[in-house]
Amino acid sequence: MGVPTRSIVRAGLIGGVAAIFIALVGLYTKFATLELVGEQITLGRLMIVAPALVAAYAVTRPRIVAGERRVVSLRDGLIAGALTGLGTGIVFAAGTWFADLFGVDRIREVFISVTDELIAFLTFDKGIPGGLVILIVICIVGGVVGGFVRTAPEPIRKPAAVGVLAVLLFGLLQRIVPIALVELGYDADWLYRAGSGLTVLGGVVVFAVAAIADILWNRGGRRLKDRVRQTTETAPAARLGLFLVLVAILAILPLLLGSVISETLGQVMIYVLLGLGLNIVVGYAGLLDLGYVAFFAFGAYTTGLLTGAFLNTTTGAAQPALSADLNFYVAVWIVALLAAGLGLLIGAPVLRLRGDYLAIVTLGLGEIVSVITASKWAQPLIGGPQGMRGVTKAEIFGLNPQDNPQHFYYLALAFVLLAAFVSWRLSTSRIGRAWTAMREDEQVADATGISTTKFKLLAFAMGGAIGSLGGALFAVSIGSLTPASFEITVSITALAVVILGGLGSIPGVVVGALVLIGLPGLLREFEDYRPLIYGGALVAIMILRPQGLIPNVRRTRELAEEEVAQDAWAGGGPSGEGEAVAAVVPGGSLGGEREDLE
Amino acid sequence: MATVTGQRAPGSQLGLLERLPWRKIILVVLSALILLVVVVGSYKTLTLPADERYTATTWKNFVTLGLAQGAIIALIALGYTLVYGILRMINFAHGEVFMFGAYTSFFFSDAWEQSGFLDSNPWLSMALLIVIAMIASMIVALLLERIAYRPLRNAPRLVPLITAIGASLFLSNTARGFFGAQSRGYGVPDVLSGSWTILGVEVNRIQLVVLITVIVAVVALSLFVSRTTTGKSMRAVAADSEIASLMGIKVDRVIVITFAIGGLLAGIAAVLFSITFESVSFSMGFRPGIAAFTAAVLGGIGSIYGAALGGVLLGLLQSVGPALVLTGYGIPSSFQLKDAFTFLVLVLVLIFRPGGLLGSGEAEKV
Repeated sequence: MGVPTRSIVRAGLIGGVAAIFIALVGLYTKFATLELVGEQITLGRLMIVAPALVAAYAVTRPRIVAGERRVVSLRDGLIAGALTGLGTGIVFAAGTWFADLFGVDRIREVFISVTDELIAFLTFDKGIPGGLVILIVICIVGGVVGGFVRTAPEPIRKPAAVGVLAVLLFGLLQRIVPIALVELGYDADWLYRAGSGLTVLGGVVVFAVAAIADILWNRGGRRLKDRVRQTTETAPAARLGLFLVLVAILAILPLLLGSVISETLGQVMIYVLLGLGLNIVVGYAGLLDLGYVAFFAFGAYTTGLLTGAFLNTTTGAAQPALSADLNFYVAVWIVALLAAGLGLLIGAPVLRLRGDYLAIVTLGLGEIVSVITASKWAQPLIGGPQGMRGVTKAEIFGLNPQDNPQHFYYLALAFVLLAAFVSWRLSTSRIGRAWTAMREDEQVADATGISTTKFKLLAFAMGGAIGSLGGALFAVSIGSLTPASFEITVSITALAVVILGGLGSIPGVVVGALVLIGLPGLLREFEDYRPLIYGGALVAIMILRPQGLIPNVRRTRELAEEEVAQDAWAGGGPSGEGEAVAAVVPGGSLGGEREDLE
Repeated sequence: MATVTGQRAPGSQLGLLERLPWRKIILVVLSALILLVVVVGSYKTLTLPADERYTATTWKNFVTLGLAQGAIIALIALGYTLVYGILRMINFAHGEVFMFGAYTSFFFSDAWEQSGFLDSNPWLSMALLIVIAMIASMIVALLLERIAYRPLRNAPRLVPLITAIGASLFLSNTARGFFGAQSRGYGVPDVLSGSWTILGVEVNRIQLVVLITVIVAVVALSLFVSRTTTGKSMRAVAADSEIASLMGIKVDRVIVITFAIGGLLAGIAAVLFSITFESVSFSMGFRPGIAAFTAAVLGGIGSIYGAALGGVLLGLLQSVGPALVLTGYGIPSSFQLKDAFTFLVLVLVLIFRPGGLLGSGEAEKV
């Protein structure tokens, strides 16, 4: 038997509990009607399959038995997957049945998501005994798919997985792709149903195209990629060309996507800026800053004050105690400079603190800023709880970023490019190497003559300046500032963006912001669940893939070395955490598991 | 430990910038400023014209409220301090462990209030509520340890911290999804409203109950840690987990027990907090959690009595501080800034005395 029975039972149980968790937290009811492909495949229904699929995928992973890595065969994988799905389905169905027996109304006094609609959704409108059987069968199918995705031969499973992911992505992007196609002059009504997800035909086509593309890529694409890489490495002009092409694509994006989506993209850009700034502090210099919202708030409010915004009061508008009447493009540099100063001010007293203590102190400083912005004490200067409005004067070259999301996108893009350029140059410079050295071992760095004081302060100042630009942009985009926009969630979201993308990686920040801000922004249904997803994502990334989606090359190497060192320790150590060590080997979740030899 | 700049010989190639002890200068200026602000503010508050001044009763109320709140903070702080002592990690999600205890007990309290059980058997129902909250918080703490922290036992130190932050966000929003976004009113038995007169002094009933419960819990905990075998192994692991494991102590088991105890204490604190503020909500864990962490650091993280002392001090500081220092400057609604006070204390303690009041003052942990 390829997979130990105990593991299967455990995975089934965990899958079932996870499914019940998803039901209680309200995700099923929220996404029950979000159609992805045709009328039948909704996001909610995929979420029914997901726990079984993931559990089966996890349970059929290669294991290390007696020092030998054993891959599960396809037959064993399918059987184990089906059994895991069966376990998940039974637990899930039992939970649903219990809810019905006990009384939905009584449970709802505690768990507000348990409704008759939820039960009907989970039983596919077929009533209790019949619907539960369908539920179990669906879970078994999910388990089989999970086992298949893990254990099928590489040339089959990879194109299949890529195809499914592409369908999922196109389904989720149902509010972008059709609009973009129409803007391009192509009416894609065979691909998407009006105001809904893909058509069945569309789904099949997307799947086929993606799968074939993946196969072709494996045949010849690798060579092409290598050649491109070689050319760009040897000829700087080629690299510049590639970069310009990328910028050109970014520049025409809002024209294709219309104003609603440009607005989301603008928000993404703000978080790219925040991510780039935080990346300098956390990714390059290794200083975990949890109070980054301080710079965001500082940038936004200072921009407001410098561009002549006025305070909201109960009786109308009032002049702030301190204000100037500058043009935004003048003000923003002053803001950045002041924020760099604030960075020094915050950085100086906390210099000697390391690691988690630094994190908590910066968290405290960030909270002080949010508490003060919301207090009545701050009323005469920045409006306190009522906030301020009328941030203006951002018109330039006939563009009006304040009223037109597409124009705002260009403004944000310019700032992002600037910040990305600065980060990139910094990371490859002497300063960047000093930061790396400091991050790796502060004492050694100090001993080799790097002034850690100076470089830490520099990191805080640079990070602060870029973060304040994010705040300035935010002030322009929204025009009015209230304390509710400047809470700890901003710090944590920015951190999640940096960590999801990969610490120290500039493309990673962009991808992180697109995934964490862009996707939920496009599907309004996600709005309430954003923090839940961010929190879950932070935990999952730290456990499964600490180097992020697009890892920084050097960082990956370091993590690998750390794991090797720990592996050596854990192997000889008492707690035997081999399982955890194997799971965080860079390159993904394909690490083996040490089985207990009982 | 000498400062980083102090270790280097003042060579001629170093600029003026590097030769001056900037850190010390900034710290001295900062502390002088803070002292000045506090003294002037207190003086101004106390010498306000008689009609604007707080009365003696108000001050007494501030102090008793501060004591009660501080006692609750101390209970949560014990959870931080125990886990930090053993794992050297900040269990950022501990505030959410507390929140789940409060919410779980709320549903029972709510049902009992409607059935009249809460008022007919007030003491029994309070005791039961505390037990329920303890169990709920313990379960959440154990799940947290098993799912989020155990896989990262040997990871670099920032990794578990980031995980803990994620877990905190995840748990509070789980509660939001489970129980809804609005806060709910927490019923208090009639017996506990109003005040008792003890030896001629009027004492708020809830505050007295809170204080007594906390004292019992802290004494019980310290007896457990100092007298039992399990307590001894906890201390051994805190001192050196590798050596402890060589001595035959099951480190993983001790860690689980530590999280369980932290959860139990948070459960007690949850009920006391809920009857004090008479409401529960999904976000109720964050601020008390940070305050409790501050208290643990203030008292000297890793020390049980330190956490208790830090909690009480912080509670007093939160309730008396803003009124005493800020009112004199004519700052409106100074209580709004009470959390800023918490954080300021945290920052100052970490900068000036990172070992805490009862800690050894060493910088190694920092």
